[in-house]
Amino acid sequence: MIEFDLPFILQCAKFLLAFVPLCFIPILIWGERRGASLIQDRLGPNRANIPLLGGLRLFGLVQNAPDGIKLFTKESFIPKHAHKFWYIVAPMIPLCIAFLTPSVIPWFAPMAVEGAKGIANVSGQILDADAGVLVLFALSGLSVYGVVLGAWASNSKYALMGGMRASAMMISYEVSMGLSVAGIFLIVGSFSLTNIVEWQAAHVWGIVAQPLGFVMFLTSLFAETGRAPFDVAEGDSEIVAGYFLEYSAIRFGLYYMGEYAHIAIASALVSTVFLGGYHMPWLGTEVIRANLGLVGGGLLAAIALLCIWIAYASNRWSNIYAKMNATDAAQRKLEYRVMTGLFSGLAVLLLVAGSALALFVHPQQVSVGGTEIWPLWVNLGTAAIQLGIVVAKTLFICWVFIWVRWTLPRFRYDQVMGLGWKILLNIALVNLLVTAVVAKLVKG
Amino acid sequence: MARIVPRTEMTLVEKAYIPEIARGLKVTMGHFLKGFFKPESIPVKHYPEVEPFVPRDYRSRHRLMKRPDGEPRCVACFMCATACPANCMTIEATSSDDDRIEKKPSKFEIDQLVCVFCGLCVEACPVDAIRMDTKKMAFAADKRETFKVGLEDLMDWDPKDYPESDIQSQKAPGGTLNAQARKEWGLQ
Repeated sequence: MIEFDLPFILQCAKFLLAFVPLCFIPILIWGERRGASLIQDRLGPNRANIPLLGGLRLFGLVQNAPDGIKLFTKESFIPKHAHKFWYIVAPMIPLCIAFLTPSVIPWFAPMAVEGAKGIANVSGQILDADAGVLVLFALSGLSVYGVVLGAWASNSKYALMGGMRASAMMISYEVSMGLSVAGIFLIVGSFSLTNIVEWQAAHVWGIVAQPLGFVMFLTSLFAETGRAPFDVAEGDSEIVAGYFLEYSAIRFGLYYMGEYAHIAIASALVSTVFLGGYHMPWLGTEVIRANLGLVGGGLLAAIALLCIWIAYASNRWSNIYAKMNATDAAQRKLEYRVMTGLFSGLAVLLLVAGSALALFVHPQQVSVGGTEIWPLWVNLGTAAIQLGIVVAKTLFICWVFIWVRWTLPRFRYDQVMGLGWKILLNIALVNLLVTAVVAKLVKG
Repeated sequence: MARIVPRTEMTLVEKAYIPEIARGLKVTMGHFLKGFFKPESIPVKHYPEVEPFVPRDYRSRHRLMKRPDGEPRCVACFMCATACPANCMTIEATSSDDDRIEKKPSKFEIDQLVCVFCGLCVEACPVDAIRMDTKKMAFAADKRETFKVGLEDLMDWDPKDYPESDIQSQKAPGGTLNAQARKEWGLQ
């Protein structure tokens, strides 16, 4: 018999967090395009607009909408020589995995809430399993099945070669990925990501405890997600396109979105294991809960500062653009005015809300059956702030992914294999050995 | 004779790869931040909203020059069509109304999808009737037929778009010089 008490409702509400990596997809695509173009001294796609208020372009974010419409409405062609069933099923696998893998990532600290059977502990991850990160590794390893299956079902030689490369790389780098992160497990003594974050909050961040592990884990993740400089599974010059060669329209789009969702989840994992997850220095869970008003107000003020900067930049660019003698000068002027007004209004609103929070919110603990716990709204507010912290860290790692992709030249296929087996694996083993010895000596 | 090109040896730091990665990342981040905070420093043109600079002698879309009375200056001699390496010109001749001139074109068609913009027609023309100085370089249409421009399209240009110092390129319809000439020569 299921009881519809508070912990159960919260548990159900946590399933919404499975959509967090999905929200990253449009932001990542936008960030990749515009980040790449700025790195290459270009401007990138910035013309798609909502024909409203002078054509709102939102810094090119609107470009995702026409792209999506195009992918959905194009003819989804199935080649005659393909195996129809597997051809249709294969692109769905990476995106399905993208829904499953975030289930073990803690988005906020565990909270104690009052349920029907006394105080219950609701953790910050959807699936509070002891296996923890192993579940994530197992599931994200499955996503290569989508790639290989699609390549095989396409019944095309180039696609098959791309699929084989993807699977070979998966096998090579999964080993060093697991070994490079094993040092953290040894130190913490648990696979559960919540425990890993709690350990980091109590001691130091993983990047300080395992700097080598961090670099190797990040490198393995570049290979695992099939990103440059290890994007041998795709290659315009050698294998026409890669495993998705025969795919078009939304089936190709599913691969594309699955790839970006994979990056988002990988970044969330890095930020959880090595960058302290939801923990910030001097902002432990109890500190946030006790000073919810101040911390929330400060956070809103920081966002308000960002809005003010965007308003300033819009206004500044508007003045520069007005001097360029463009044919659409009037329209752009209106758009930039709307943007400036919108963001400065938002900044004022956030500042007012932030100062109200800081001045009037002073949470007090309540006693339930002799135990002091925080009221639900304090817990939820803290969860929101911590979710924001995780998302900010994840966005930073995502930016590192993009940054590295547009900096480093591509590796040749044999170089990728050599790096994986001859260098990364050995360093990971030595790192693990040294960590084990040190951990044994320190912990006894 | 074989020449040995000496290769520069990589230093130990360069061989270690990681510091070089950091150096590369620094370079790209510098470009990113410069473009992010100062978008005007990026060397791009906001085409097509902002017109790019096109020199007058850039070989662009053709135009046909006119006599002062608005007739085409072309005498339908077929020199341009003969010189054309792409065979993109179709000219049909008819007799001219002017007694001094034998022929004029009744049809003058250029297929701009076939044209290679070599400018040989301009060089070949004995009467300076065809020019490629419109500065129009962007061609877009949704039908192939639209790219075949005829006599009226080629003569549809505004004298204001051309330099006043060049009298030849300024000759626009509405002039009376032709009528004056005919009168003097007793042809009217």
